[in-house]
Amino acid sequence: MTIPALGDLNLYVALPAIFLALFTTFLLIIDLFIAQEHKNNTAYLALGALAVAFVWNLLTFNNNTTAFLGMFVADSFSGFLNMIVLIGAMLTILLSMDYLRRMGIEQGEYYSMVLFSTAGMMFMGSANNLIVIFIALELLSIPLYVMAAIRHQDVKSEESGIKYFILGAFASAFFVYGAALIYGATGTTNLPAIFTAVGEIVNTGSDSIFYLVAGSALIIVALGFKVAVVPFHMWTPDVYEGAPTPLTAFMSVGGKAGGFAALLRVMVVALPALTVQSGDAATVWQLTLAVIAALTMILGNVVAISQTNIKRMLAYSSIAHAGYILMAVAAAGTAGVSDAATRGMLVYLLSYTFTNLGAFAIVITLEKEDGTGTAIEDFVGLGRSRPMLAMMMAFFMFSLTGVPATAGFIGKFLVFGASIEAGLVWLAVIGVLTSVFSAYYYVRIIVNMYLRDTDKPSEIVGETQFVKYATYISFTAVLVLGLFPALALNLLGGAQITLASLF
Amino acid sequence: MNFGEGLTPEAIAFGLFTILTIGGAFGVVTTRNLVRGAIWLIVSLFGIAGFFVLLSAPFLASVQVLVYIGAIGILFSFAVMLTRGMTNLKERFNSQWWLAGLAALTAFLLLMMGVVIPVFGNTIAPVSDQVTSTVDLGVALVSGNQYVLPFEVASLLLTAAMIGAIVIAREDD
Repeated sequence: MTIPALGDLNLYVALPAIFLALFTTFLLIIDLFIAQEHKNNTAYLALGALAVAFVWNLLTFNNNTTAFLGMFVADSFSGFLNMIVLIGAMLTILLSMDYLRRMGIEQGEYYSMVLFSTAGMMFMGSANNLIVIFIALELLSIPLYVMAAIRHQDVKSEESGIKYFILGAFASAFFVYGAALIYGATGTTNLPAIFTAVGEIVNTGSDSIFYLVAGSALIIVALGFKVAVVPFHMWTPDVYEGAPTPLTAFMSVGGKAGGFAALLRVMVVALPALTVQSGDAATVWQLTLAVIAALTMILGNVVAISQTNIKRMLAYSSIAHAGYILMAVAAAGTAGVSDAATRGMLVYLLSYTFTNLGAFAIVITLEKEDGTGTAIEDFVGLGRSRPMLAMMMAFFMFSLTGVPATAGFIGKFLVFGASIEAGLVWLAVIGVLTSVFSAYYYVRIIVNMYLRDTDKPSEIVGETQFVKYATYISFTAVLVLGLFPALALNLLGGAQITLASLF
Repeated sequence: MNFGEGLTPEAIAFGLFTILTIGGAFGVVTTRNLVRGAIWLIVSLFGIAGFFVLLSAPFLASVQVLVYIGAIGILFSFAVMLTRGMTNLKERFNSQWWLAGLAALTAFLLLMMGVVIPVFGNTIAPVSDQVTSTVDLGVALVSGNQYVLPFEVASLLLTAAMIGAIVIAREDD
């Protein structure tokens, strides 16, 4: 066994993630020398690091190569995904800066935690090995547990952290068990090598197929928990409601991006040939994922209607959106559609990131120090008292519904298209119907803002400088993506998940 | 290990470790103070780590020290100190002593059978003749085509978890 030279590791393509990880550990130390009154400086440093990683990521974009001799893959898929999570993290920090101070929970470690989690997401999107996926999943999750409980004066925040932690630990255990079964059947944890082994197992009709099917089912459970699809969604409303609002936004966006990236890569790179009998057209897991996606879309949208708190409503809305994104993963199960489905998923994630962070930014402007101000009733009369704010909120709600000329429409269009192409027409029909259905509760916010009036409209307590920036950035992005989708699609180019390390 | 050649260094070490292991175990069950009991347990576990060294399994020995003494021993001490009411036991026996004695005797006999019977039976071939040393393990952890990336990300993860625990547990100032 020889130790390879540093040059063989091809570190260059992994540098954006490595830089972020390294900088985070430095930030922990630097933060000790920043006085409590100047904690904004920590946030500026974190923002700077994210911006550097973002630019660096653009420079290494589209390399289609591996680093660490096959453990880490840098393709246009991971490049685009890194972009999404870095944008999400930057907006989250903008949203957090004044919010944390206002709520009296400002701690320098918060920003380091955001960066740790972001680094975890980046490693997860690039992981080419079940072990790396597992460790990156933990690196993504543990800071989220901590940040969910960071408002520990508030019982709801503690409940949120504990619930998320305990259920998340279960989900991680499921992942390890699933990975162990797959390792047992194939003798490797490397995704492309698993692909080869699966082909042999299917062709020879070996009994190992049972371990493979059980293992992949367990992995679907674990990652399904992380991205909150039915029936593994129970934690979502409570955790989203109790966590500090900027963090809720980050969880709904970043956690999903990381989880779906790993799910798609495991399914498309390692298990595309997993069929019970050789020669079957579609993979074993396609129908499973399609059914889960359908249930998720239906349940998320139906339960969202009865919510009276905007954070809970957006939690159920995020469950429903997980269903739409899962639709793309299911579509990737049909050979030949995986590229279209991958693109659909990435564009969906990008548009959802901007839209959801924008919507949460508006929620933050309304949220008062004692945690009230987040009822749907609090939006009454905003159209008159704050026309600009109401207009942007209305636009975010339209984008979440998927109305044409918004970013949300482009995402849904591509995902539904991929689903039809994959022959899952029934799933696309459910998607369209539930989207129409979802308009009911999104439009209700708009009705509250414009058509109902009150003598005492909500005070806007949280509209501070940085929250404003985040709102305007999100709004512009949703508008531009909606009107000129070609911008994102061109950057995406021929984005696909590569099998570069093997073929 | 060959005892036929008289008092080799190995034999002396074996004797020492045996005294540590059995003596420590004896201390655990005889002391009335639970904190002392936990310390005696650590002594006993240290003796077992010594046996692993004598069996040319240095990795198991270091794991024994790190995990059993380092983690579990400390955990025991914490648990004992947190439940302070029980640190000094007055009663040596309670009404169920015979039940515990019976269970301990059965377990002891079973273990003795498991150890003694194979000695007179056929020699069983070792499961694997491949001797992996801690050097192999170390190389696997840091070499690029093996586990260097998970290893590094895991250390990040541990840092994040440690800082996170401090953030949650910190008193408001």
